[in-house]
Amino acid sequence: MKKHLSAILASALALVLLMSACGPAASNPTNTPGNPDPKPSQQQDTPPADQPVTITYSNYNASGGNEETLQKMYEAFHEEYPNITVEIETIAYNDYFTQLQTRVSGGTAPDCYELNIENFAAYANKGALAEITGVDFSGLDETSLNAFNVDGKQYGLPGKFSNVVLFYNKDLFDQAKIDYPTADWTQDDLQKAAEAIRALGDDIYGYYQPLTYNEFYKVVAQFGGSLLNADKTEFTINAPENVAAAQMMADRILVSNVQPNEVQMGGIGDWDLFMSGRLGMMPTGIWAFNTFAEGCKFDWDITVEPGKEQKATHFFSDACVINNASDKKEAAATWITWLTSSDKAAAIRIEAGWDLPAIKDQSTLSAYLDITPPANRQAVFDSLNYLVVPPVIEDYSLMSDIIGQKLSAAAAGTLTVQEALDQAQSECQAQISLK
Amino acid sequence: MTLKKRLGTTGYYVVSTVIAVVSMFPFLWMISTSLKSQGAIMSIPIQWIPQEPSGDAYVEVFTKFNFLRTVGNSLFISVSYTVITLLSSAMAAFAFAKVRFRGNDLLLKLYLATMMIPTQVTMIPLFVIMNKLGLINSFGSVILPSIFKPFAVFMLVQQMRAIPEDYLEAARIDGAGIFQVFRKIALPMCVPTLSTLAVTTFMESWNDYLWPLLMLTQREQMTLPIALATLQGTYNPQYNVLMAGSLVSMVPIIIIYIMAQRNFKNGMMAGGIKG
Amino acid sequence: MPQKANRRGGPKKDGLFTAVPFLLPSLLGLLVFSLLPLLVSALISFTDWNGLDQLLAPGFLQEHFIGLENYKNILLGAELWKVLGNTGAYIIMYIPLMLAASLLEAYLLSSTRRGVSAFRVVYYLPVLTSWVAASLIWTSVLSPQYGAMNNLLALFGIQGPGWLLDEKWAMAAIVLVSVWKDAGFFGLILLSGMVGINKSYYEAASLDGAGAWKKFWRITVPLMSPAIFYVLIVALINAFQLFPQVMIMTDGGPNGATQVMVERIYRYGFRYFRMGYAAAFSWILFVIIMACTAIQMKAQKRWVNYDA
Repeated sequence: MKKHLSAILASALALVLLMSACGPAASNPTNTPGNPDPKPSQQQDTPPADQPVTITYSNYNASGGNEETLQKMYEAFHEEYPNITVEIETIAYNDYFTQLQTRVSGGTAPDCYELNIENFAAYANKGALAEITGVDFSGLDETSLNAFNVDGKQYGLPGKFSNVVLFYNKDLFDQAKIDYPTADWTQDDLQKAAEAIRALGDDIYGYYQPLTYNEFYKVVAQFGGSLLNADKTEFTINAPENVAAAQMMADRILVSNVQPNEVQMGGIGDWDLFMSGRLGMMPTGIWAFNTFAEGCKFDWDITVEPGKEQKATHFFSDACVINNASDKKEAAATWITWLTSSDKAAAIRIEAGWDLPAIKDQSTLSAYLDITPPANRQAVFDSLNYLVVPPVIEDYSLMSDIIGQKLSAAAAGTLTVQEALDQAQSECQAQISLK
Repeated sequence: MTLKKRLGTTGYYVVSTVIAVVSMFPFLWMISTSLKSQGAIMSIPIQWIPQEPSGDAYVEVFTKFNFLRTVGNSLFISVSYTVITLLSSAMAAFAFAKVRFRGNDLLLKLYLATMMIPTQVTMIPLFVIMNKLGLINSFGSVILPSIFKPFAVFMLVQQMRAIPEDYLEAARIDGAGIFQVFRKIALPMCVPTLSTLAVTTFMESWNDYLWPLLMLTQREQMTLPIALATLQGTYNPQYNVLMAGSLVSMVPIIIIYIMAQRNFKNGMMAGGIKG
Repeated sequence: MPQKANRRGGPKKDGLFTAVPFLLPSLLGLLVFSLLPLLVSALISFTDWNGLDQLLAPGFLQEHFIGLENYKNILLGAELWKVLGNTGAYIIMYIPLMLAASLLEAYLLSSTRRGVSAFRVVYYLPVLTSWVAASLIWTSVLSPQYGAMNNLLALFGIQGPGWLLDEKWAMAAIVLVSVWKDAGFFGLILLSGMVGINKSYYEAASLDGAGAWKKFWRITVPLMSPAIFYVLIVALINAFQLFPQVMIMTDGGPNGATQVMVERIYRYGFRYFRMGYAAAFSWILFVIIMACTAIQMKAQKRWVNYDA
């Protein structure tokens, strides 16, 4: 019997080796792993421009509402470039990165795809992405472009950008008889207003800014702190400024309770709370405009987020990247350049209210300002003066999960703020080696 | 005695009904939520029955994905998957139960031991294998693993062992070959277990999520659970839409189950697990 | 010819030739879809593969091989034990509750009263639901403010907890949902054991004046112990592999209270780009499951009754 078992195992082993050694050419071993230097894209491996070519483009941003907008963009593109057919795959955000990673490691990644800032560094550093060359992307905004530039090489084009502004419910401010927030506000002004609104009723809350990693690194910047030292060689998670920032955020939940705790939130989304008219203020993304315009039965507006020592606002951008193993890099570059920087794509995007195109040209963007609500759309552009970019490191997801988990314990009162940040600091040091 | 019996009957129905209510309760909530507007979902006090029922959520579900196509995909995959599982497992079970060969017991144990392998362990290598076989983005990648289903083999071995040797013996004396014995005697005598397995296997394939997600990336290939997951937006959960989608995704399998119910019952009885 | 050899019952089991064609499809599946990937994953567990470089590309092993490093880090780290603690808490709550619920369902369904077939459909509905749908439904039901559960409890004057959002209750909530979903399935398996019991045992007990309760514990349970044993084995394996409900309902939170083995494996492999580490983690899980199953197999001799 033993003989049989070992025979089975032996033949299985043989199969492993066979498959790894001489698999068919379904995958494209264009580069050795770990070598981030791609071949110049316009070399022999791409077909001439006038031959019909089909590429695949994977994305998650269009899922749950903008599939048709993206399709519209593609149709406009295909009119201009009839030779390039793009097969668009739209996958739900929750599963997108699982699927993508599997496909990259299996050698079947799409020719071009979308990456968020959390994953971008890992993909770029591990040689999965091709440098984007041979196309003109000078129309794109510098700040956004820089976010996807590694060692002077452009590995991604910003597909869109969005930022975060302070949304407020005018009716609740009127009821509380206090002034509307302005761009000059500090966190202290906000606290006072939040308390006045909280006093309006048991179910009414002044402010909602969850104690999550994303909000934390921004407030930290407002307090003049940061999570990493300047050259990104050392974690500084439990620095005094950071503790003060987290303390303020936690106190709003646990002490003044101007902000609902998890149980008071009851598992509904923060947007829903705002739309129900029971929340005075919240910082959230400009991608909420459409939903709020439809869902709010009260007057609301926006302004630049308040700061502390300084102002700091979020900047979110997703990159369109090219698969380093693709043999259609040129067509892929043409498509993502058109998608990110052409006037037509920008116009369709603005019309659909699907974030902002990351382009320089202000005249295209001006159409964006004309849409109301909110009346004060200018705040979107004003906020751009205070952008903070998340601290991009290779182990970004691991770091943000560790910090996020400790912060949620602090928000629930299980840990003190100091304990939470101390633990986050030591766990990050233990698990992540910074270069 | 009769009073006691009547009390017993009343007690029986009370307990059965309580459990039925517990089983059904989330579904009733699902139906109620699916008929609410986004605002009504968060009204306080909550609305047990929507005050202004609206079918908007269903409209959204049906506009978001091609329902018929998706159900068609799911049906095709699940039916093929089930047929292959039953056939392959019945063949293996026949060999294990009715043919004596060296290593019979050991091999069966190996089959069963693989049930303990967490799927996550094998997911990435399996993806690479499928890729080498050129099966990515084809239904084959989702259907083919059905040829090896140790649970089904196990259930069928139990049933086949219960078939008296004399039956097979008699057939062989009449000149039937081993394949004929399998087809004409063993298979028909396993129908109860086979029908049970048909339902459980079908269900497993119908509800499978992660594997089809990795294998089938094209929109036209979407199966129901994947379509359901795409209803979750990136930012704000719309519970009415999610509940409507859940309900829609359940309807086909419930219909199939009710149709298969009668066979199913007998199957579970006959496939009874005894040492 | 083969059966003649069998008849004599000698050691000469020469049916291999007959068996092979029947075994071929599943054997091929066993090799390609189970053993081969298992071997590859063992290989991965000895590497620092990030999950992005092409698997088994030329030079793969030279570049990534790190020996037992992953296993060392996991076994010496605190995370494994914390996660095992969470899984243990799940198992301790889930197994008895699930067994009680499915025994009760099986008992009710074994009746010949009117309406049983309707109950059978209703009890099986949760099993028919996919985990994606079930998790979405229960997330809505368990919402502390706007969900059905706490509002129902409020009708009886009970202030419900935060369920999935409360560190102390989240795992209990996961157990509740899992029992709801699984009881119907295991109930049917138990039912098959229950109806196989020879009626004469009950008749004899009735003559001795035993009541329904006594009959259930003295006859039904012992005589269906093989089915119970089988349910326990499968349920324990499933419990260790707890995943989709956690992923959709809590994502491992709040504050890590529902982090379990497979959730960690998934996260390390697909979120943190540490596929080698994840593979080692999954092999540790595999070994734990095998050990627990082996213990159950050993222990069965003490209580499982195969004489029914």
